[in-house]
Amino acid sequence: MARSKIFIQRKDGRIEVKIAPDAREFLKSVVDQLIAAESDGEHPWHGALHSPITPSADSDDPLRSFERQKMTATSAELMRLTLDESFLSQDEAFAWLASMQLGLRARTSEASIFTDEDLAQADEASLQTIRSLQFFLFELATTLS
Amino acid sequence: MKHERSTSTATLNQEEVVTEKSWNVVVWDDPVTPMPVVALIFRKIFGYSNNKATQLMMTVHHQGRAIVWSGVRDRAESYCVKLQANGLLSTVEQDS
Repeated sequence: MARSKIFIQRKDGRIEVKIAPDAREFLKSVVDQLIAAESDGEHPWHGALHSPITPSADSDDPLRSFERQKMTATSAELMRLTLDESFLSQDEAFAWLASMQLGLRARTSEASIFTDEDLAQADEASLQTIRSLQFFLFELATTLS
Repeated sequence: MKHERSTSTATLNQEEVVTEKSWNVVVWDDPVTPMPVVALIFRKIFGYSNNKATQLMMTVHHQGRAIVWSGVRDRAESYCVKLQANGLLSTVEQDS
């Protein structure tokens, strides 16, 4: 039996979201961590959200860092606001995509997964989170493409 | 592979013109990001065609990195920030 899609592009441009309440709870926990990590320097995800822009420079332009922080926070807050919605606008769907992708990268960085070999040796809890986020990201990206 | 290239020039006086090397926006491979996500982000940020975005995504996947845009530093850093805010591993480097 064919698996039904969880993100569906409608003719009016909106994206219909057909995900279960427990999946929405999972995504809520990811986006809540993102929002917390952005402002908390001690958060295990903080480093992944503040990687160097121009590594050869002594330091990055603070305006660029602020710009990135603003974009990250805007996407995360927009996703948080729309987590229970059944339909998303294109902008909201792209905010979901950015936030889930940031959450995926931050989670892998937290688990020190930087190579395929690291991934093969990752613990089950990390793998479960990673696979879930990969699934949602793949589904949303193919819908938006 | 073709990339957009540009250089900036600064006139110091009437005899001397300095041409700055291009700044490259580099995207690095990671073991977890689904491939359609990378291509979609390239299309959204740079306005690339599906073919070009897919080609660049495959270069990242097979070679570990790809130069996705080249030009003046300010614009390169602006693109890099957008890529990072979308969760991709990206840095800016000057042409060697």
